[in-house]
Amino acid sequence: MPLKTVASLDIQRLEILGIDGAVDQSLMPKVSDKLLIEMYRLMFQIRRFDERAILLQRSGRLGTYPMITGQEATQCIPPLALRPSDWVVPTYRGGGVYFARGMQMRYGLLYWAGDDRGTRFPEGNNDMIFSIPVGTHLTQVAGLAWGQKLKGKGGVALTYCGDGTSSKGDLHEALTFAGQFKLPAIYVIENNGWAISVPRSRQAASQTLAQKAWGYGVRGLQVDGNDALAVYAATVEAVARARKGEGATVIECETYRMGHHTTADDASRYREDKEVQRWKKRDPISRFKKFLTAKKLWNDKKEGTLQTATDAWINQEVKAYEEFPAPNPLNMFADNYATAPWHLIEQRAELEKLLQFKGGAQILMELPPAEGRFP
Amino acid sequence: MKTATKPAATRVLNLVQAVNEALDMALSRDKRVMILGEDVGRNGGVFRATEGLWKKYGDDRVVDTPLAEIGIMGSAIGLAISGMRPIAEIQFDGFMPAVFDQLVCHLGRIRSRSRGKLSVPLVLRVPHGGLIHAPEHHSESPEAYVCHTPGITVVIPSTPHDAKGLLLAAIESPDPVVFFEPKLLYRSAKGEVPAGHYTIEIGKARVVKEGKDITFLTWGAMTVTCEKAAERLEKEDGASVEILDLRTLSPLDLDAVLASVGKTGRCVIAHEAPNTGSWAAELSALIAERGLLKLLAPVARVGGWDIRMPLFRLEQYYIPDADRVVMAARKTLSF
Repeated sequence: MPLKTVASLDIQRLEILGIDGAVDQSLMPKVSDKLLIEMYRLMFQIRRFDERAILLQRSGRLGTYPMITGQEATQCIPPLALRPSDWVVPTYRGGGVYFARGMQMRYGLLYWAGDDRGTRFPEGNNDMIFSIPVGTHLTQVAGLAWGQKLKGKGGVALTYCGDGTSSKGDLHEALTFAGQFKLPAIYVIENNGWAISVPRSRQAASQTLAQKAWGYGVRGLQVDGNDALAVYAATVEAVARARKGEGATVIECETYRMGHHTTADDASRYREDKEVQRWKKRDPISRFKKFLTAKKLWNDKKEGTLQTATDAWINQEVKAYEEFPAPNPLNMFADNYATAPWHLIEQRAELEKLLQFKGGAQILMELPPAEGRFP
Repeated sequence: MKTATKPAATRVLNLVQAVNEALDMALSRDKRVMILGEDVGRNGGVFRATEGLWKKYGDDRVVDTPLAEIGIMGSAIGLAISGMRPIAEIQFDGFMPAVFDQLVCHLGRIRSRSRGKLSVPLVLRVPHGGLIHAPEHHSESPEAYVCHTPGITVVIPSTPHDAKGLLLAAIESPDPVVFFEPKLLYRSAKGEVPAGHYTIEIGKARVVKEGKDITFLTWGAMTVTCEKAAERLEKEDGASVEILDLRTLSPLDLDAVLASVGKTGRCVIAHEAPNTGSWAAELSALIAERGLLKLLAPVARVGGWDIRMPLFRLEQYYIPDADRVVMAARKTLSF
């Protein structure tokens, strides 16, 4: 019996916007001029915000911070294809995703300042807090998508993971479920080239990460992750398929982490600057600006206006962040259970005693009011 | 476990340097030893515990693995069974739960399931504990989960000297050892460390200081907190405090615990993890079972609250500080 080919795969890569700003019109998605400008605004503003956050950290006004510079397109664009009721679960490097979903960035700063009050999301949106142990959310997203399917209103769930995380078993199980139950899920693999110090080439021997999807009966494609138009087109298509009941999609966005892993890392220990410079030429924002300028949608005057508005916005968010009063230590006991059990009531009282031991009998009156629900 | 004669030459090292020196020594002495983990190679580990080792021993012996904790743990088990001596690193305590399937269902059971034919001589190194202003899931104290699991030895040093000697003993141990390293002490704990090879016997506590009125039982970074609390109690209350750093959590040095508590009659157990179901609970039960009639006061436990570790702005109110140890000790002393 001769050997038969029982399956073969073509892994496609989508690129629309070249680094010179030229567009492949045959692949160009339908996007209004207004939305094109909005795409640029989001990417422009989140980069400025990122730069300020790094400065805040370097001057001791913020804790360890994961920078997103270079990944603005993969972060800010996919949310534009979604409804507020669709679930979105970013990674910890997800400031741009939350921003595009409408989060007030003062809360992002508060979170990275080590304050639990920072986990606040826009009212009305189905946005979930990211998971720090990477990839542990991926199976949960299968569940969120499953819930959307059961509700029958065409809702979807979109999530992210990195190239490093794609090595974890979590993705295997998540895609197994997504394929098996034909779930309306979109898994964006934000392949930024590096998992802290370990390059993409050491994560998997497969040529692409997109091709992993096909092993689970899930559609997978690769996209130039620094090309906002390609990211948008791929997401719109994946969301449309999901809404129609055609199942899940993996979108591998090939992008680049321009900065360190976090402010606690030093990338010069393990990667060549040559590589960073090479990727600088593929920057998602300057490429998009060339495109908008050629289309006569953008000019220096508009850039200046946006810069001024961005400075004011960032100053306002930083000010609001820094004006949060120190948290009341008793806050940590709130919202652990719908109703706190006896031992937490006891332990909270013990913490009150400790605070009085440290600060005197009047200290509980001087602290800001405790927040959250207790008992 | 043999304790080699200590060579004369010692230098002052911090705890992470002592860990690095033990790893270097193990790699150079035994060709079967290898290191695997995330960022342990070229980057030298996120805490620099493996700094310089990749360059010295190469890609086959100091291995940057894909980002996959179950892969690290499971393949380390396989490597150990096959005759290698793997030292696996889980980058942070909060990433350890991923490996529990391997840890609970296999790591400690393979010797017994093969009726002694196979063994798993590996070391799993895990940075431990809080108070370094780290992000969420980077400040956990998971020792009780591991101690609860049969077949696994659990070690946690609190000085550079102990870190080197215990790590070398762990690497040379015929059975799996989970080796916790207190992050807070990586750079802040400094002390004399012999330059040559030596081991410290696993299963033996260290008397940090002798005293006669009350015993503090502790481990990891909390040892330093207990020292501060003891100093205050001696100055302000005139109490004489004995401190035992357990060093090995499983198997416990019960003789040392009972000897100390038998002498003082009063005991405070201080640690970072939530109290419920903690290793302090086990210690307290053992003291009640075997030393009850020597007690002059109930055993007190000072631990984290029974809630998740908060983000770092409030961590100093979660992990016990010297104030909390002092408060518990005064209550115990005045019982």
